[in-house]
Amino acid sequence: MAGQALSSPPAPAEAGPPPRRTVREQAIAHARRRRRRAAAVRSVVRLVVILAILAVVLYPALWMVGTSFKAPDEVNSNRGLIPEQFWPANYPDGWTALPSVTFGRFFVNSAVIALATVVANCFSCLVAAYAFARLRFPLRGMWFAIMIATLLLPSHVLLVPQYVLFNYFGWINTPLPLIVPKLLATEAFFIFLMVQFMRGIPRELDEAAKIDGCSAYGIFWHVILPLSRPALVTTAIFSFIWTWNDFLTQLVYLSGVENYTIPVGLRMFQDSGGENQIGPMFAMAVLSLLPVFLFFVAFQRLLVQGINTTGLKG
Amino acid sequence: MSPGTPHADPARPAHRHRTRYLALLTAAAVALPLGLTACGGDDDKQSADPNRKIELQVFWWGGPARAENTQKVLDLYTQKHPNVTFKIEQQPNAGYFDKLATRAAGGNAPDIFQLDDGSLAEYAKRNVTLDLTKYVKNNKIDTKDIPKGLIDYGVVDGKNAGIAAAQNTPGMIYDKTVAQQYGLEEPKVGWSWEQMIAWGEQLSQKSGGQVQGIMDPSADYKALWLWLRQQDKELYTPDGKVAVSTEDVTRWFELWVDARKRKATPTADLIHTANTGDVSKQLVVTKQAGASFLWSNQLAELQKSTKNTLGVSAYPGDPKGQFARASLYWAGSRTTKEPDTVADVINFIVNDPDAAKIQGVERGLPSNLKNREIVAPTLSAPEKATVALESELNSKFGKAPPVPPKGHVKLRSELITAAETVQYGKATPQQAAEDFLAKAKAAVSG
Amino acid sequence: MAVSAAVGPGRAGSTGKARRARWREGPAGYVFLSPFLLGFMGITAIPMLYSLYLSFTNYELLGQTYDWVGLRNYRELFTNDPQFWHAVQVTVLFAFVAVPLKLAAALGVAMLLNRERRGTGVLRGLFYLPSLIGGSVAVAIIWRAMFDRTGAFNSLLAVFGVEGKPWVNDPDWALETLMLLAIWQFGAPMVIFLAGLKQVPTELYEAAAVDGAGPWRRFRNITLPMLSPVIFFNLVLETINGFQGFTSAFVLSDGTGGPTDSTLMYSLRLYDQAFTEYKMAYASAMAWVFLLAIGLLTVLLFSTGRLWVHYADEEGA
Repeated sequence: MAGQALSSPPAPAEAGPPPRRTVREQAIAHARRRRRRAAAVRSVVRLVVILAILAVVLYPALWMVGTSFKAPDEVNSNRGLIPEQFWPANYPDGWTALPSVTFGRFFVNSAVIALATVVANCFSCLVAAYAFARLRFPLRGMWFAIMIATLLLPSHVLLVPQYVLFNYFGWINTPLPLIVPKLLATEAFFIFLMVQFMRGIPRELDEAAKIDGCSAYGIFWHVILPLSRPALVTTAIFSFIWTWNDFLTQLVYLSGVENYTIPVGLRMFQDSGGENQIGPMFAMAVLSLLPVFLFFVAFQRLLVQGINTTGLKG
Repeated sequence: MSPGTPHADPARPAHRHRTRYLALLTAAAVALPLGLTACGGDDDKQSADPNRKIELQVFWWGGPARAENTQKVLDLYTQKHPNVTFKIEQQPNAGYFDKLATRAAGGNAPDIFQLDDGSLAEYAKRNVTLDLTKYVKNNKIDTKDIPKGLIDYGVVDGKNAGIAAAQNTPGMIYDKTVAQQYGLEEPKVGWSWEQMIAWGEQLSQKSGGQVQGIMDPSADYKALWLWLRQQDKELYTPDGKVAVSTEDVTRWFELWVDARKRKATPTADLIHTANTGDVSKQLVVTKQAGASFLWSNQLAELQKSTKNTLGVSAYPGDPKGQFARASLYWAGSRTTKEPDTVADVINFIVNDPDAAKIQGVERGLPSNLKNREIVAPTLSAPEKATVALESELNSKFGKAPPVPPKGHVKLRSELITAAETVQYGKATPQQAAEDFLAKAKAAVSG
Repeated sequence: MAVSAAVGPGRAGSTGKARRARWREGPAGYVFLSPFLLGFMGITAIPMLYSLYLSFTNYELLGQTYDWVGLRNYRELFTNDPQFWHAVQVTVLFAFVAVPLKLAAALGVAMLLNRERRGTGVLRGLFYLPSLIGGSVAVAIIWRAMFDRTGAFNSLLAVFGVEGKPWVNDPDWALETLMLLAIWQFGAPMVIFLAGLKQVPTELYEAAAVDGAGPWRRFRNITLPMLSPVIFFNLVLETINGFQGFTSAFVLSDGTGGPTDSTLMYSLRLYDQAFTEYKMAYASAMAWVFLLAIGLLTVLLFSTGRLWVHYADEEGA
């Protein structure tokens, strides 16, 4: 880590036996070793702290995996992490629980909707954020306030009016009510997120581009877009995960079991007053975590240093 | 809030856009109510051709087994009537009524849908269900083999709003293995509440507190309801108001405070986990109590979740308190374009012997008495026990009450909250009873 | 005013040149904003305004007719509905405890994980895992199993000789388990902090190191200011989400807000009024009261934000 002071002068070029170290040089070497040891200790402490927090944080997840391997009569009584009787049957049972479709169908449906949402959100929220963050136009403040306000109204009171609206458009029984709003920048969360990120990009870059003859569109394309990678990656990750877990809107607007998505499918195992299928439900829940987890690990790699790697400065 | 924009320039494009939009908004605001109040024609003239292609949307909730059964039944109908096909909409319980209400409010209700006695009055009184009275009267929906009480349990405001898909009745499910283990008799139909509580007390003592007696049903509306009926009282008046008095509810809560003191029931936190009625959380299955209060037809499901042997009996008290309840209903949509076909399909699902064989007792005991006999040989051991109980109770049932009024679901949840405040020691039975009744009356009259 | 400062420099100069400059960007501004405008007008505005309109009526869900009743719903809400106030209390308590703790955990762990070493990606994914699980219906079962009388948490306490309570099933502690559930999912704001940390140019750190600044000073004088837009974002959004929290409370309490209304979050109460009691107009009134209250809070946050949030695109900052 930058911060170690350079202290020793370069070694003289003459040959001959190395001079005996002076007391001062010995002290400097001592101090350097102590600093390195301290740094190493800090690293180890950091690692231990991380792992300790991780252990606590992950226990519920581990419990989830453990329970997915418990037999039906053990699921309620055994509270421990490890099943007494290893029961992998939960996985195929959960997969083929419904007569007409496998759980895999739900995976595909969820993936399609989630990916479409990611693309739609990234595009629409980016352009909207650029307008708010960088451009000057009449009523900008008012539109910004309205955008924030859309975050504040509890969505349950919008469910029925929006359903009526979508019915009027003729979109019921299609996935359009789930996708089109994302294409039209209705997720204010991401617009605001990107605005905040964009405002961390220095104006000098814009000015430089303007001097080079760029219009507002040019600045967007050449300056802001490349530097918005962290914001876009974050938006992609969150969009994917929220859509993957979104229950009510997917329930209301998708019809027919073959169109159902994972959140709806998981609740299938929970019919209260009906069948107890906690084991298979956990099995499918564990499986449904994998794509999201992988999506996350893959995309977070793109959260690299922003400004330094572009060489636009100077 | 806006950065100081200059004002009062009528030529500014933004201003013009705003007024134009306001007009659009007003138009939409006017149009939207029309969309919200489902405005399908009541008596659409149906074209004469009886063989025209018809597609009906059928919507129900349930698990995979029910999905499979019902699908097969509908396929069977299509075999017999090739011009009628079905679009199946089935889903888990969670969110069912949200979706149904949203669709109905949006003018897009399914043609046939499943309801229960918590929702029948709500949907019927709000004019969402199809009036099936004329089909019952002219026998298009054949009711001669269905107990009259069961049919009447689907009548709202004098009209048949739903046809009972199956029957069940409250049932106390107890642990035979545990009873044997601790040398206790198995509970029988007709045991009093006091006997049952004593049984719980003994169980608790003999097991050294491992099995904490029996579940405390003070939050269970069925238990309160039956307890009232055993005293010739009712939960609701015939015209749909709350009939129970504060004194009654107070006595009810006190009964269980007493039981708790004798350690005949478990601790409040355990009771709470079971109060939602979720099968997997019932104490008889988690072995924390020797008996749970549920529905008679849930024995089979509970049995799957434990290695102990379970049995089913009536709720304690005089069995005249019990009644033949419609576990689920089939209802049609008032705005359906094919009411005659809808009635015919409902008739088929409920009465056809082949359909009955497919459905078994998954939704409960078949409404049609003849079908019960057809189905009997195909049942598993726990299912047979359930049927045996219902047969025993058939002659002992009291008169069925009218179907619960609007607000019933809220009354149920308020009872849970009130009972729990007593169970957690946060309120006295009197306070909780007053609070409960105030909220229940508000919910039911509203 | 506060909001416009948050949007970005653009305070109008009254000189003709500045005004013309703004107008020149005007068309481009509206072009970039067009998806949002279309979405807002077409999809959000009408339902929002309609729900506002409904709040002044006695509309019931599935009702056939309804009448204008003016402010009656609002009056009922404030004067005749003790559960409304109870829900407000529960929600405020929840937000005030869970939000700061969640943000602190998120920032702390983000800083711990800010180095690009082998396996850091997987570590970040693992910390983010709770947020993934949190949205799933399985989490309720897990949480209840861990925090009831015989759950893992009490087993842990037993190691220290402390007798545990039935946390999630205890009206005195159920809300705290809900808070813990929220805080446990700090992975989401953590990821945003990580992205923000990545935007801090490393040469700033190097320059500071050359000047002899230690880790604490580097944090205070570089990290915090450069990160402040992101901190601000997380603060605002987590606050809004904290007050709006629905899904966790719903699945954890089976929709009841129990035991005995101890976890009756505002949104649960609203949902209950709308879909269980069919009182859609009343629920709409609740929704708009919420919007106004949280809107005020947001304005407050934006105003005070001006004092500590440092934007790289402000002239003369």
